[in-house]
Amino acid sequence: MTPMIDIVFQLIIFFIVAITIQKDFDREIILAPAHESPIIEGDDPTTFIVEVDKRGWISIYGAQLSKSKLRQIIRRRYNRYGQYPVLIRGDYRTRHNDIRAVMDICSEEGIWRVSFVAIQEKKT
Amino acid sequence: MKKKSKRKSAEQPKLEMTPMIDVVFQLLIFFIVTLKQEDIYAHLDVNRPAPDSKPPPEKVDLLEIMVYDEKKLGGEGFSMQGKKVSLRVIERRLKRLARFSPNMSVIIKCHGESRHLNLVRLLNVCADAGLNNLSVFSL
Repeated sequence: MTPMIDIVFQLIIFFIVAITIQKDFDREIILAPAHESPIIEGDDPTTFIVEVDKRGWISIYGAQLSKSKLRQIIRRRYNRYGQYPVLIRGDYRTRHNDIRAVMDICSEEGIWRVSFVAIQEKKT
Repeated sequence: MKKKSKRKSAEQPKLEMTPMIDVVFQLLIFFIVTLKQEDIYAHLDVNRPAPDSKPPPEKVDLLEIMVYDEKKLGGEGFSMQGKKVSLRVIERRLKRLARFSPNMSVIIKCHGESRHLNLVRLLNVCADAGLNNLSVFSL
């Protein structure tokens, strides 16, 4: 029995580790498909992810915040890291004006590396 | 001698494995059911002009595409050189143009009321054509 129990425990450890890797994003945001675009590779620790839902509400890792607060965070990060990439996770139904608000804040604070996140390949 | 060996075997505790294996299998099934595979994400990079700057003057290797609200103006939500066009037409033209000048600048003018989906679809087509010099202006 011992080898079998060993295998089962190995599997359990794998699943526990795999589950904790999943990031805390707003699950209500439905991203647009972009099957021909380059995949996001690596994990740049300085990357800043801003989420904009279909109503135009801005959030970071599920925490909703105002435009002035976002500006403050972006400015503080800029003072600490200098130029860093900003990824905008916008719902496909969001009006461009709401996405524009985030892009304007970025460029006003000196951030020029702005990208949109889309789904390259859907798994779920 | 016989009495001694009997006492020894009675003292040794026996480990019951069956409930433990049951629990372990329950946990395993739980993790298999709850584990979700992550989607693969793509990034669409854009250049963002300063909010108060004007679009650069027209050049030969500069292409302008407009994204608008298709619910108000009809069509698929795109126009190229002042004419409403479908995304498929844009894709065909961009691929042809990219063959001659791969460093061509594409200026995307996006209407405020247009959906984010339209912009992403257009950026995806540009990425497919191999055009990386993309600027997004908001109207």
